[in-house]
Amino acid sequence: MQESIVRYNRYRYLWVALGLCAAAVLAYALQDPQEPPNGGTALGYTLGTLGALLIVWLAWFGVRKRQYSSTAGTVQGWLSAHVYLGLALILVVLLHSGFQFGMNVHTLALVLMILVVLSGIFGVYMYIKYPLRLNENRQGAGRSDLVDQIDDIDRRAKRVAGGLPRGYGELIHSGINRTVVGGSAWAMIAGRDNSQVVLPTGDEYTVVANPGQEAALDWLAEQQSRSMDAETAAKMAELSGLLRNKRKLLERLREDIRLQAMLEVWLYFHVPLSVALLAALVVHIVTVFVYW
Amino acid sequence: MRYLIRFLSQGAAGSVEHYDKIVDDPTITIGRATDQVLHLKDKRARLQHARIEARNGDVHISTRALAGVTVNGRSQRDAKLRTGDVIEVGSNILTIIEAPPGFDFAFTFELSPDATSDELTSQFGSLRLSQVAWSKRRLSWALAIIVIVFALIIPASGLLHPTAAGILRNTALLPDDGLWLAGPVHNKHSKSSTQCQHCHTQAFNRVKDVACLECHQTDRHVNSTATEAILGERRCASCHLEHNEPPELVKQHQNLCADCHANLPAGVELAAATDFLKQHPDLQPSLLRPPLANDGDAEWTVQRIALDDPRLIDRSRLKFDHSVHLDAEGLTTPDDRRVLVCTDCHRVETGGARMIPISMDEHCSGCHTLNFDADDPDREVPHGEPEKVLQILIEYYSARLLGDDPQATGQRLRRPGQALTREDRDRVAGEARKKAMAVAQDIFERTTCANCHEVSSTGEGGAAPWRVEAVKLTQEFYPRAVFSHQAHDTEASNCGQCHAAVESQSSADVLMPGIDTCRECHGSAVGRRNHGGQIASTCIMCHRFHTPDKGSYP
Repeated sequence: MQESIVRYNRYRYLWVALGLCAAAVLAYALQDPQEPPNGGTALGYTLGTLGALLIVWLAWFGVRKRQYSSTAGTVQGWLSAHVYLGLALILVVLLHSGFQFGMNVHTLALVLMILVVLSGIFGVYMYIKYPLRLNENRQGAGRSDLVDQIDDIDRRAKRVAGGLPRGYGELIHSGINRTVVGGSAWAMIAGRDNSQVVLPTGDEYTVVANPGQEAALDWLAEQQSRSMDAETAAKMAELSGLLRNKRKLLERLREDIRLQAMLEVWLYFHVPLSVALLAALVVHIVTVFVYW
Repeated sequence: MRYLIRFLSQGAAGSVEHYDKIVDDPTITIGRATDQVLHLKDKRARLQHARIEARNGDVHISTRALAGVTVNGRSQRDAKLRTGDVIEVGSNILTIIEAPPGFDFAFTFELSPDATSDELTSQFGSLRLSQVAWSKRRLSWALAIIVIVFALIIPASGLLHPTAAGILRNTALLPDDGLWLAGPVHNKHSKSSTQCQHCHTQAFNRVKDVACLECHQTDRHVNSTATEAILGERRCASCHLEHNEPPELVKQHQNLCADCHANLPAGVELAAATDFLKQHPDLQPSLLRPPLANDGDAEWTVQRIALDDPRLIDRSRLKFDHSVHLDAEGLTTPDDRRVLVCTDCHRVETGGARMIPISMDEHCSGCHTLNFDADDPDREVPHGEPEKVLQILIEYYSARLLGDDPQATGQRLRRPGQALTREDRDRVAGEARKKAMAVAQDIFERTTCANCHEVSSTGEGGAAPWRVEAVKLTQEFYPRAVFSHQAHDTEASNCGQCHAAVESQSSADVLMPGIDTCRECHGSAVGRRNHGGQIASTCIMCHRFHTPDKGSYP
């Protein structure tokens, strides 16, 4: 994928789209100017029909990409054409409207179409930029590998903490249980760290925010500075090392989730808005002819 | 370096089975990738997770993985290995053993007994958007249904019954068919109607002419009976388009006329006209022509005569000298001396389309009094029929002679109360009539009437033997054009820019400007202000399209 949909077949569909735009602009410039440009002139009906057919064809991409046995062009070619003709659609529809806008169902269809295309442009940008970032962040490992590595660290941390006073076990166990990754859609996209940890302070335990395992690490460093026993100090040092490594892994995991979510989130706008656009298109065409 | 790797596995009945692998390499690479010497099937290991190699005579294990490796229960990035050390990578356990003879280094490799296949299940919550977001399918349905219901179904329910439409339109929160408006309704239409059905009488049918003619059935706009013949298949709405921005109910475009008028069929007495600046015939004023027979009842006719034609003579029959009236020195009026300006007589009608007609009472009588006796300057004859004028004069002089004037009655004294004798009466009547005739002859033939009117003596023995020719002033010199004095500058001082009245000494002069005068400001149809500041002028700026008895539109 990536840039190949942009450059597909030596920009074939870019040229097709440019040709379409040029033809539409030329016809618009040359049309009989006896009346203000609008959707009801001969050219207006032509551009409107073209726009409606384009919208239906563009929406058909959702069907075509699922037809694995279809031989009607490659999905890559379809996507390339989908992107370029989708961009050309904006011009075709604006010329159809004659740049007349209002608070009505007709402009609703136009606005929905522009939103669909804008979300599509965002998607293309994501598809060009994000897979690369995703790979860089993963450094060859998959997401489950990251999860497993964190798991492994957790297991070892538990084992180390087992040889230390009870407070350490509580710190490590609560830190593991209260580490939050993912969750809500917004948490994924924002990449926020809402993790918490239970800190043993004297005889009591307090729950504090633990972004980047910071609170746990600070607590460990404090205990370390008081510790006299060399063996205990070594175990503390190992715990700190494990937590620091866990922090780095968590950062990468969150970034992985964020990048993956960004790759997907635009579709939650693009697809429903496309369907809403199809509905608005039907309303537009019907209502234009109700009051012909 | 010669390494021995002993793979251990659980055999049947709890026995331990093993097989050996000999490696002659400086380094043992450990990882998940298939090119590694020790291939781990554990997802927690990285592709290249760790390496075992000799350094300075010792054997070390080192890793760049953040998770590190566990050597003897401690997580390490680099460790020197001795016999008996236990290394853990994920669920894999490596134990260093004494190297048998012939080998430099040896270790066993086994899977941790507590390793389970579902090690990989995560402690974390949803990590993918699809696990938490609404499904795209549900969102799509929701949006589509909202659009269909609010933009189509609810407003369309108003089509079923006017009451329903009324409820929808009057309820602020409910969507009505106003949402379907493709553009603003023209100002003139929006005032008369807020109901779509006034024009759109039937759903899915074009607006019919009947709907237009309901209001526009006056000849001023269109001759409705002739429209059909002229327009044929066309409807009013084919040209008069509503719901556009900018609103343009009347087409302005040049081609509306120029398409036909570039090349009119043979037999049509009209010159080609395609553009006001480039191709437009000279202006020809329409002049009133008196009937040939000197018959007061016959109709005047209209004749169009070119401005450079010697026959261009105004036959209004009024004697009028513009140059005298507009004398900069001023004129003597009954009251004082004053300087006249054009607007003293020529005023624009309200609306600006025409001039208020000139009349004796309104515009002349202020100065041109109709008195006839220097001794009695307040007495005037009426402005009308010669018979009536003469009658008034006779009555005036009879009254004077029969009154207290001894001179008039022939110096014969009478006693008070004594009636005139029949003889005296006849004589006085004869005197009065003679006097009246003399005065009438003077005003008709030489002074008052003759100043402005063409008066001829009929020579007949009738009561008043004069004939005053009726004055007929042309009201519209260019009746086919629409011209608004108000839209142009109508300050009195500016009239001379188009009308050369100051030099005109005769009412026979036609003081209408020609096309060159118009073209000083009005230019081609193209552009807004083009050709050095000229106003873009299309045909429709001056002419009207709907002329029921003229031509046919293709």
